[in-house]
Amino acid sequence: MSETTLTETVARDFGPPPGKPSRQKGDGTKWFFVGPAIIWILLFTLFPLLYAMRTSFYAFRSGKMLRWVEFDNYRNLFSDEALIANLQRTIIYVIVVVAVEMVLGFLLALLFNRQMRGVSSLRTIMVLPLFASPIALGYLGKTIFYEIDGPVNRAIEALGGNAVPWLSNPTWAFVAIMVVDIWQWTPFVFLVSLAGLQGLPQDITEAAEVDGASAFQRLRSITLPLMAPILWLILLLRTIDAFKVVDIVISMTLGGPGRATELYGFYIFRTARRFFNYGAAAAQGYLLLFIVMVLVSLLWSRIKNLYDTDEAEAR
Amino acid sequence: MSDYFERIRRHPSRLAGDIFIIFMLIVVIAWTLFPLYWAFINSIKFPYDVYGATWIPWLQFEPTTKFWRELLDQREIRNALKNSLIISIGAATLALFLGTLAAYGLARFRFKDPSNGSLTTWFLSQRVLPPVIFVTPFYLLARELGLRGVPFLGLDSVWTLVLLNATFNLPFPVIILTQMFREIPKEIEEAAQVDGASRLEIFYKIALPLVAPGLVVAFVIVMAFSWNEYILAVTIAVKNAIPIPVIIAGAESTRGIDYQAVGTRTVLALLPPAIIALVASRYIIRGLSLGAVKG
Repeated sequence: MSETTLTETVARDFGPPPGKPSRQKGDGTKWFFVGPAIIWILLFTLFPLLYAMRTSFYAFRSGKMLRWVEFDNYRNLFSDEALIANLQRTIIYVIVVVAVEMVLGFLLALLFNRQMRGVSSLRTIMVLPLFASPIALGYLGKTIFYEIDGPVNRAIEALGGNAVPWLSNPTWAFVAIMVVDIWQWTPFVFLVSLAGLQGLPQDITEAAEVDGASAFQRLRSITLPLMAPILWLILLLRTIDAFKVVDIVISMTLGGPGRATELYGFYIFRTARRFFNYGAAAAQGYLLLFIVMVLVSLLWSRIKNLYDTDEAEAR
Repeated sequence: MSDYFERIRRHPSRLAGDIFIIFMLIVVIAWTLFPLYWAFINSIKFPYDVYGATWIPWLQFEPTTKFWRELLDQREIRNALKNSLIISIGAATLALFLGTLAAYGLARFRFKDPSNGSLTTWFLSQRVLPPVIFVTPFYLLARELGLRGVPFLGLDSVWTLVLLNATFNLPFPVIILTQMFREIPKEIEEAAQVDGASRLEIFYKIALPLVAPGLVVAFVIVMAFSWNEYILAVTIAVKNAIPIPVIIAGAESTRGIDYQAVGTRTVLALLPPAIIALVASRYIIRGLSLGAVKG
C-alpha cells in the first residue's frame, strides 16, 4: 500500500482528487458508471421528500387526507409545548452522548495506541456493539437495568449502594438510554481514532520526545492538530446519528416514564404510526431535516476549512 | 519474558503503567461483552434460575435448549428469518452493484460541476437523511402503488424493503470502494487499455478482482445494517414481510418482562451480524474507518 498521510486520505474522500485529471474524454462512459446510483438515490429520496412536502400541507384524520391547510402543520410545530420540550431534551441527549463517546473513545484509542498483543483482539471485540441491532439492545437494556434484581442493581447493592430506580425515575431512565447509546457507539469513535492514530507519522512525535516535550504537550501540539480532520468527521457522523435515535427508545422505554425519554425521532415516529397524523409528522420531519442540515453545514465547513489549509500548506 | 522483567527492573514505573493498561483492557472487554453474554445465558436458563446470580452453565445452573427449540418451532419466526435474509442479502447485492459502479466512476474519471469531491460528499450526505422522515411518504407511496397493483412495491412486500435498505446504505459501498479503486496503480489499467480492452472490460476484468476485500467489507456492512433496520420494516411490513427486528419488538408480554423471550430473540437478532463481524473484523475495521486506515 502506498504511503499516504492522514489528511491526504481524508482529502481524497471528501474533496476533489489530488493530481492531474486522469482522462478528459469519455463523458458518456463516466456517467454510465456514476449515473445509475445518482438516479437511484434521487428516485428514492427526492421523490418521497417532495411527496412529504405535499403531505405536510394537508390535515389528516386517522390516516385519511382531509383538506389543504396551508402552513398550519408548520405553525403548530412552534405552538406545541410538548414538541419544544422534546427538542430541548433531544439536544441534551445528543450533547451528552456524543461528548462522552468522543472523549471516552479517543482516550481509549490513545491508551491502546501501542505495540502490544491484546490490541488486535480488543479491536475485534469492539466491532461487535456496532453490529448489534438497536431494537434488540433496547430490550436487553430493559432486562439489564431491571429494577428488582436486575444485574446492574444487584451489583450496586453488592457494593453497598441502594437500588437505583433505572426505569421508573425520569432522570435515571434518561441516563439508562444514554448508557445504551454510549455502549453501542463509543467503539466507533475508538476504532476510527485508533486507526487514525496509527496512521500518523511517528517521526514528528519521536522528535518532540527527544526535544523534551511532555506527553501532554505532544498530545496538544502534535497529535490533536493532526487528528483534527478525522475527529471533526467522527463528531459530524455521531451528532447526526444521535439526532436520529428512535429504536432504543421504542424498545427500552417507549418514551416513558411520562415523557422523560421521548426523543424527537420517536416523537415523529409516534405522530405518524400511532396517531396517523401524516401531515403533522411530515412537518415535524422537515424540522428535523432542517436542524440536521444546519449542523452539517456548520461542521462541514469546519472539516473543509481544515482540509483547505492543509492543501494550501502543501503547495 | 526475561527481557520483560529486565526492563521492569530498570524502570520500575513501567510496571504500574503496564498493570494499568492490562486493567483497562479487562474493563473494556468486560463492559463490551457483558450485555451479549447476559442475553445469551438468559436464553438457556429456566425461569427459576434467572433471578439467581448464576453465570456459569452446568456448574451454577442447568442450561436448557427448550426456549431455543420453542422459538425455532414457530412458523412466524422461521418466516421472519427468511425475510430478514432476503432483505439483507438483497439490499447488500443491490447497493453493491450500484455503489461499485459509482465508486469506479468517482475514482477513475474527472468530474467538473459537480466535482468529484462534491459528488462524493453528496453520496455521503445521504446518510444524513433521518429515515424517520421517510416513514410517512414511503408508507403512503407503497400503499398507493400496492393498490394500483404495481408488482414488488406494495405494502407488506420484502422487495420494497430490499429497495429501501439498498438506498439508505448506498453511501457505504461508494465511500469504501472509491478509496480502494484509487489505490490500484493506474499503470495496470493503462496497460490493458493499450491492449485494446474497453473501459467496461477493464472495470470488471481487472479493477473489480483487485478490490475484492473492499467488496466483502461493503457487502457485510450493508447486510448487517439492513438486518438491524427496524423503522422502515415496521412501516412497510404488515404480516408476511415481517423481519426479525419487528418480531423481537413483540417479545414483551403484558405480564411483565419475559427473560427467556428477550434472551432468545435478542440473541437471534444479534447473532448473524455478530458472526459476520467477527469473521470479517479485520476488513471491517478498515472499512468502517472511512479511509483513515492504511491497509
